[in-house]
Amino acid sequence: MKKIWLASYPPGVPPEIGALACPTLNELLARSCRRYRDGIAFQSMGVPMTYDELDRRSRDFAAYLQKSCGLSKGERVAIMLPNVLQYPVALFAALRAGLTVVNVNPLYTASELEHQLADSGAAAIVVLENFAHVLEQALPSTRVRQVVATQLGDLFPPAKRWVVNLAVKHVKRMVPSWRIPGAIGFREALARGATLALDDAGVGSGDVAFLQYTGGTTGRPKGAVLTHGNMAANVEQIAVWSRVTLKEGAETVITALPLYHVFALTTNLLVFIALGGTDVLIANPRDIAGFVAELKKTRFTVITGVNTLFAALLNARGFGEVCTASRGVLKLAVAGGMSVQRAVAERWQEATGVPLTEGYGLTEASPVVCGNPFDAMEFSGKLGLPLPSTEVAIFDESGRELPLGKTGEICVRGPQVMRSYWNSPAETAEAFTRDGWLRTGDLGRMDERGYVEFSERRKDVIVVSGFKAYPAEIEDVAMLHPGVKDAGAVGVPDARSGEAVALFVVRKDPALTAEMLLRHCAGRLTGYKLPQRIEFREQLPKTPIGKILRRQLRDEALRFRG
Amino acid sequence: MAEYPARYVREHRLRDGRAVTLRPIRPDDAALVREFLTGLSGESRYLRFQKWVHAPSEKLVRFLTDVDHDRHLALVCTTRTENGEKIVGEARYVVEPDERTCELGIAIADDWHRTGIAGLLMQALMTAARARGLASMEGLVLAGNREMLRFVRALGFDARSTPEDPRTVRIVKKL
Repeated sequence: MKKIWLASYPPGVPPEIGALACPTLNELLARSCRRYRDGIAFQSMGVPMTYDELDRRSRDFAAYLQKSCGLSKGERVAIMLPNVLQYPVALFAALRAGLTVVNVNPLYTASELEHQLADSGAAAIVVLENFAHVLEQALPSTRVRQVVATQLGDLFPPAKRWVVNLAVKHVKRMVPSWRIPGAIGFREALARGATLALDDAGVGSGDVAFLQYTGGTTGRPKGAVLTHGNMAANVEQIAVWSRVTLKEGAETVITALPLYHVFALTTNLLVFIALGGTDVLIANPRDIAGFVAELKKTRFTVITGVNTLFAALLNARGFGEVCTASRGVLKLAVAGGMSVQRAVAERWQEATGVPLTEGYGLTEASPVVCGNPFDAMEFSGKLGLPLPSTEVAIFDESGRELPLGKTGEICVRGPQVMRSYWNSPAETAEAFTRDGWLRTGDLGRMDERGYVEFSERRKDVIVVSGFKAYPAEIEDVAMLHPGVKDAGAVGVPDARSGEAVALFVVRKDPALTAEMLLRHCAGRLTGYKLPQRIEFREQLPKTPIGKILRRQLRDEALRFRG
Repeated sequence: MAEYPARYVREHRLRDGRAVTLRPIRPDDAALVREFLTGLSGESRYLRFQKWVHAPSEKLVRFLTDVDHDRHLALVCTTRTENGEKIVGEARYVVEPDERTCELGIAIADDWHRTGIAGLLMQALMTAARARGLASMEGLVLAGNREMLRFVRALGFDARSTPEDPRTVRIVKKL
């Protein structure tokens, strides 16, 4: 296969990344901590954390995990945190101790959390206290031996810490009561670790850095096994791609997407560590007024997001001032996770003077596969070009490679592609072709310049603001309600989130209302998976032998909306 | 209702030496069918019905067992166990209103994949469909169900996704 996309690369971007100077994430961190000691690595609610502080704190916490908890190389540590300073500390601590990180959505319900902890076999978890009551319910059926609970302000200077922790707990009452015997505080764990030595865990590029969970057809998320080598390769691929625009030690990125999601984890946290940049952590971007206020105070050169987030900013009061202040400062706005709407991209460029640069990836590829050139002058509407050392091919259903312009399944090869799904040999085998191409489950085509264009998803999945919801999981939860006889979930277009969940229900109990069912679902599904609309039917459309006709349900949902 | 088509009862010995029986389903198979469906993994049930199915309902079991053997023919593959007969696979067709085509459905117990019983069921089902004078057999398969797609392609089915719905593949075989 000819790599026709190479001819479209911006000047200075190499076709291959070559041997990595830092083959593990630990070496990457160590190099940046050496080079940028006093540089600010992270900032949260106005509080900075230097590379040196990140180095020391992650060392101390690593020593705690290794010596005090007695975790040995390869064991799994779950991190259930929003974007706060404790996140990078816990992350690098686990990696430095030779452990594997399992990122957990802090808004998960107990049953979702339970599956992920049990499946990964996590031995320890770092959790924000606000979510500890959920963990408490999930804990009994897991193998977690140690819980570290942290308060929001734990890494803030004393006065601010005291005020923030007090406000969260007693004024805003954001911490439902919880009780987990043996749980230890984050500051206590750091203090213990400070007195302990950290042994070299001997981490190599083949060691597993992350079990990054992603949904399966039946709604049971599977852990993509991502090694240090996979992640370090993707960081380098993005770093060389960004050289045309970004300078080492001089960039500040706004991190509003959650770091437990692989997109922000790699493109914001890891890439900007590699570049010696500053990550400005936004813990709750849904508080759009607070988010805009933070942006007003910050001089930032890069922002990443999903379509929903950019649209929300453009509609937010006060964002105009941010745009004015950012003129000439902001260099790059990167969008991924979901399709970008042209209208949003055009408004963004008009408002900020910087185009939305779209990229494409998936958890199984650490995640970035394609990107539009960072020096592009306008939104392309395409997923972009395969990154250096990445091959993309389009295959038809029987596994034959298709010529340019023909639509088929987008398949990927490269050093960033996962090794397997955790403990799932059958799913792993299905995910790859015989020649080792990763099947993305997305349909698209490649044009004569090598740009990949997305056409549609092949997997039965609903993408809500970049997060995946599987119909099976929603149907499962809905049918647990005693008043439900049958249920079918489909994705419908949504102006705000790209897609939203619509649920069709056949009642067993005629008195069942949409509100009752929604309340039932809310206790069992994370917010983005909740149906935005529930409709009752006498029956669901099915084929003669009893297969649900999802396509027909989608059409019905559209008609109803229209 | 047509008579019980006893002509489709057959004993087989599998490659691994195990003995199985292929036979048309009977209304008194309800308990066995329920046990079979309950024993399938969630994934297998999802692939068969293309939606999430918990414990099978009375109505579903009745639909699957109370068939007329004419417009709706269902074959089960059973094996003998200490506790009596057990269903390990089932395949069926329902004739479309045009009387020329039929839609097929098949499910195999998770630990009976790759034993050859799916092939036996499909061959028997196609023979019956031909005998009924049907011209083609069709089905709807989730695009992600590669095992099924490989299997039916090997049986000579043509598999194509439609532009209206790339998430499912229409499989067709002329009989």
